[in-house]
Amino acid sequence: MAQDDKDSVRARGHCLCGAIEIEIRGPLRDVVVCHCGQCRRQHGAPPSYTAALWSNVTIHGEKNLKWYQSSPEARRGFCRLCGSSLFWEPIGQGRVSIAAGCLVKPTGLRTVRHIFVAEKADFDEITDGLEQLPHSMSVAAASPPPTTTVDA
Amino acid sequence: MSARKTSGGCLCGAVRYEIEGPLPPPSACHCGQCRRHHGALGIYTLAPAERYKIKGDRNLAWFESSPGIRRGFCRACGSKLFWERIGSGQLDVAMGSIDPPSGLKIGRHIHLDDAGDYYDPPSR
Repeated sequence: MAQDDKDSVRARGHCLCGAIEIEIRGPLRDVVVCHCGQCRRQHGAPPSYTAALWSNVTIHGEKNLKWYQSSPEARRGFCRLCGSSLFWEPIGQGRVSIAAGCLVKPTGLRTVRHIFVAEKADFDEITDGLEQLPHSMSVAAASPPPTTTVDA
Repeated sequence: MSARKTSGGCLCGAVRYEIEGPLPPPSACHCGQCRRHHGALGIYTLAPAERYKIKGDRNLAWFESSPGIRRGFCRACGSKLFWERIGSGQLDVAMGSIDPPSGLKIGRHIHLDDAGDYYDPPSR
């Protein structure tokens, strides 16, 4: 590991019990709130996710990270001890969505849009005036920028 | 007003529940513990514990997140289900776990002073 790696950490996070800690180097995608039915069930509310390249994510305490495959294309990572939601991974694409709630402040992140609004529950309210998409983002928009700094 | 009987459960279906009687408007909690646990706000309604019928509770794991407070989740799929002040006789249930439609609207936002810095919390 290079000597200056510590200084290049973009963000740190951890689950509620602290058994899993993560470090992210490199850029993080802007935050997107997902209103789909699967996310709502698993998180208990519409989750806020940033995203990064897997190669930029370091996980400490990975033995406590449990994966649940929620569809043929994706799996969800949570702490088996405290239940905290940490990751949503589109399998095999080299990137991972990271729950913004696990990140230590200041995150330097901003929420930019809502997705899967067509599946929004009746109790769920959107009052922030941000962009709303009925379903998913395009593949290009869903991917974190590979080399640039955080950008809207 | 919610239905007289409410059903819900986790994403994988290992834990299911029914709640008898009406439920109050949910509170949306912005505190750091809820945001860290859910990866989202903690949006909960509640009912007396004896009004719940829980099936598959061997898959229900509890984590004591602060003294006297515990959070219930499905150990198979990680879905967040319950929040309980131990001994209160009440059980909070995560709105996202309720089979839609819930018939409920958020009544208030709480712990706004601990909101995340990645969104603009509502002013109320």
